[in-house]
Amino acid sequence: MAVTEAPASSVLAVDETAPAPARKWLRSLAIGLPAGLLVLIFGACFVLPLVAPIPKPTGGDVLSSSLPPFSPGHLLGTDPNGNDIFSRILYGGRSSLIVAISVNLLGLALGGSLGALSAHFGGAVDTIIMRVLDVFIAFPSLVLTLAVAQSLGPSQRNTIFALAFFSIPAFARISRAATLRLREQPFMVAAKLSGTSTWRILVRHIAPNIGPQLMTFAMLGMGIIMIIEGALSFLGLGIPPPAPSWGNMIAQGQLSLSATPLLVVWPSLALFLTVIGFNQLGEALRARWSGR
Amino acid sequence: MLGSPSLRLVGKRLLMAVPIVLGVSILTFWVLNLIPGNAAQQLLGPEASPDQIQQLEEEMGLNRPQVVRYLDWLGGAVHGDLGTSLVSRQPVTDELGPRLAVSGEVVGLAFLISLGLAIPVSLLAARWPNRMLDRISMVVSTTGLSVANYVFALLLVLLFAVQLAWFPAIGYTPLSESVTGNLRSLALPAIAIAFPLFCFYTRFLRSDLVDQMQGEDYIMTARAKGIGPWQVLLRHAFRNSAFGLITIVGLNLSTLIGATVIIEQIFALPGIGQMLLQAINTRDFIVVQACVIVFAIITVLANLLADLLYAVLDPRIRYGSN
Amino acid sequence: MSDTLLQVEDLRVRFDQRGRRVYAVNGLSYRLRAGQMLAIVGESGSGKTVSSRALMGLLPPSATVTGSARIDGVELVGMPEPEMRRHRGADIAMIFQDPTRSLNPTMRIGAQITEAIRAHARVEKDAARARAMELLSLVRISDPQRRFYEYPHQLSGGMRQRVMIAIALASDPKLLIADEATTALDVTTQAQIMDLLGELRSRLGTAIILISHDLGLAASYADDVIVMYAGRAVEYAPTRTLFAKMRMPYTRALLDAIPRLERQSHARLPITPGQPPDLTALPPGCAFEPRCARATPQCRTSRPPFAQHEVGHWWACWNPCKDGEPV
Ligand SMILES: Nc1ncnc2c1ncn2[C@@H]1O[C@H](COP(=O)(O)OP(=O)(O)OP(=O)(O)O)[C@@H](O)[C@H]1O
Ligand code: SF4
Ligand SMILES: [Mg+2]
Repeated sequence: MAVTEAPASSVLAVDETAPAPARKWLRSLAIGLPAGLLVLIFGACFVLPLVAPIPKPTGGDVLSSSLPPFSPGHLLGTDPNGNDIFSRILYGGRSSLIVAISVNLLGLALGGSLGALSAHFGGAVDTIIMRVLDVFIAFPSLVLTLAVAQSLGPSQRNTIFALAFFSIPAFARISRAATLRLREQPFMVAAKLSGTSTWRILVRHIAPNIGPQLMTFAMLGMGIIMIIEGALSFLGLGIPPPAPSWGNMIAQGQLSLSATPLLVVWPSLALFLTVIGFNQLGEALRARWSGR
Repeated sequence: MLGSPSLRLVGKRLLMAVPIVLGVSILTFWVLNLIPGNAAQQLLGPEASPDQIQQLEEEMGLNRPQVVRYLDWLGGAVHGDLGTSLVSRQPVTDELGPRLAVSGEVVGLAFLISLGLAIPVSLLAARWPNRMLDRISMVVSTTGLSVANYVFALLLVLLFAVQLAWFPAIGYTPLSESVTGNLRSLALPAIAIAFPLFCFYTRFLRSDLVDQMQGEDYIMTARAKGIGPWQVLLRHAFRNSAFGLITIVGLNLSTLIGATVIIEQIFALPGIGQMLLQAINTRDFIVVQACVIVFAIITVLANLLADLLYAVLDPRIRYGSN
Repeated sequence: MSDTLLQVEDLRVRFDQRGRRVYAVNGLSYRLRAGQMLAIVGESGSGKTVSSRALMGLLPPSATVTGSARIDGVELVGMPEPEMRRHRGADIAMIFQDPTRSLNPTMRIGAQITEAIRAHARVEKDAARARAMELLSLVRISDPQRRFYEYPHQLSGGMRQRVMIAIALASDPKLLIADEATTALDVTTQAQIMDLLGELRSRLGTAIILISHDLGLAASYADDVIVMYAGRAVEYAPTRTLFAKMRMPYTRALLDAIPRLERQSHARLPITPGQPPDLTALPPGCAFEPRCARATPQCRTSRPPFAQHEVGHWWACWNPCKDGEPV
């Protein structure tokens, strides 16, 4: 049965990897849709407050507190402190996204190179690095982050550090595994034999090859980080109020869940859309890159 | 009939687990000592004089070097003494037991619910791939994995506690008080933890089953025998997926522990997650340290157990491959 | 005529795959007598596997099968699945190329055999076990008592293929399809398995369809040979006749390829320059024309009919080779 065989087995010109037009279209939709959603979200969080008359997210007026949605000047209404909810969503998203991006960049840069180096050198270095990573990975991630966040004190920068504690080991693992797989490739062997410097091998051969995998992981990682960052803020250990974040907005809304559920719904929806955007983009990229 | 390959594996894995747990304890100790303004200050409040602080520090042994304090702590921990709470002045170990029981019950229920639903749903989906149920289960599980568990928990509260009033929104009824009351108080938290797991297991199991049904030669052999489709699915495909599932369940436990912290907070359950959070907020780092170590040990043991179960169940490892 | 076991007529299989159609089998006809061994030979992708799986209803849902295939007069094409299941294993059984992958790695050998026994007969556990032991001895597995409780990875490749044969014979099928059953084995084991198949055929009277790349293998064991190309039969004759009077240029090319057969199974068979045809768009003329040394303009425009040109010898070619003439 052809399905069980490697593509090379069917000599006939049924190129199963070449997508028919319909499929190609679907595939680009699978990437385009979440990518478009993310562009919208990024635009709304980073650009909209600059160009549109969006009220400040903090320092609201008690007189205009708890206004319903579609009140004049307040698209989603205001919270019990009189702050504009829409504005808090945008600014909160901004800080959540900054945290998630920073954490992933840190993980990508530090964890990615750590893993690649570890796999590249092998031997004792590799063993030691892997043992240390095992320790981090044995840690329930949220618990570790909670402890770190608490000892450093709640702030955006500290949230980033706390979360980086476990994004770095995670990236290192992926990058190590990917590099190990590369090591056997002929071009790697050739590069080594021809005396190419380690640095050059890393930059010219390893990085471009493990890049796609790490990028996919980073996309999925964005979703995870957004959720954990929300959890930290939800528990009061992330971005401290009154500065908005989706997590602390949800926590605040929880206090009056039965009376004004919308306070929880809006930031939850924003979080959900962002996370599903990253997750779907990650999945689509993975499908594309593994399909080759 | 346990052959020696399994036993050797057990030994090796256990040996590897020890340094990991040690590493975790060192790491926690180090991280917790980064706290600016130490525990004595915290306990005495901002008005305390430097003398008072110093006195308490000496009393608690906080002025000794970190290494000494760590070794001291480790000595106790090895004997099951995880220290005395700075706040309640009670031995931490005493409080851990009942707390662990509550968390364990929630997590156990969550596993039951998630696997109890994921397995039949995946089997039905794989029996008729790309049909209605398969499509729905894929959409639900894909979407579900993008929902934060605290959001899902609040939705549950809103719907089942606030609107329908089927379950209490918060609180815990001990099993000894009332069995139904206990189950009712744990229903929402267990579902909140179970839902993402359900999504995860369904996605894994469904695609593993479908891949086998469409791609594996031994499935073709089974079908060629003339046995029915359910038998092929259950005896051949599911049997093989089960091994992967066990590993995944084991690995999940560490994520789950993170989930208990937040879920116990939302539903005000007196579990170990709540204990940890309270300790973090009161800077009771002895308790924090204890909770984190317990979490780490559970994680390491769960992974170990998953490996071992796999080794015991999978004949390819049990009898040493080739 | 009365001893015809299997009658295949104008069998066609088409796959609808992501908007394209693959015509894998395009009008295959042959006949098989009870207890006969027929070899189906052709290069990779010629439709050997697909045409035989069509008989058992074991093709994926994307396949559409038309034409006719009757076993003991019972039409198999278009038979509903539950009914088909009663024939699978009981009337027609199949063994596959890779014995490592075709046995379930997590089930004991015994369980896999008894499952096949109990699929078609109400047999008590003990009786099934006894019968499984019998089958294991039948396929010449020594120490069946022990092997019964072992797992596939504890057996050698040759033994696994014997187990597969035992499974296939569990319900006394009338027809056994061996799809490249020896390709993955080393030469010695290959000969042992082939000898076993030959012996079982004469002892049990099971008809065998032997699917292979290897014309040499077919020559040594089969009564008749069908040569397939692009989903069609192109030459069909009793083995002796075929080798004495080979008519098709393609069959000649296959024969020339034999010394080079120590390649991986399913590897591209370099029998003759050029690519096999695109099964999504078959040419109007002879499908072999682009690669054929004897091609004439007629070959490109009209398809040679597959017909019985000499007694018992069928072929489809405008310019068949004469006796003893080089290609
Ligand atoms: N499920 C499928 N979907 C689409 N095309 C298929 C499918 N199964 C087989 N085919 C195509 O049908 C053609 C015939 O395949 P088949 O497996 O019968 O060849 P074969 O003669 O057995 O070759 P081999 O020697 O490689 O086993 C091939 O071109 C193959 O790609
Ligand atoms: S019909 Fe023509 S092209 Fe086809 S095999 Fe015969 S000679 Fe060659
Ligand atoms: Mg084949």
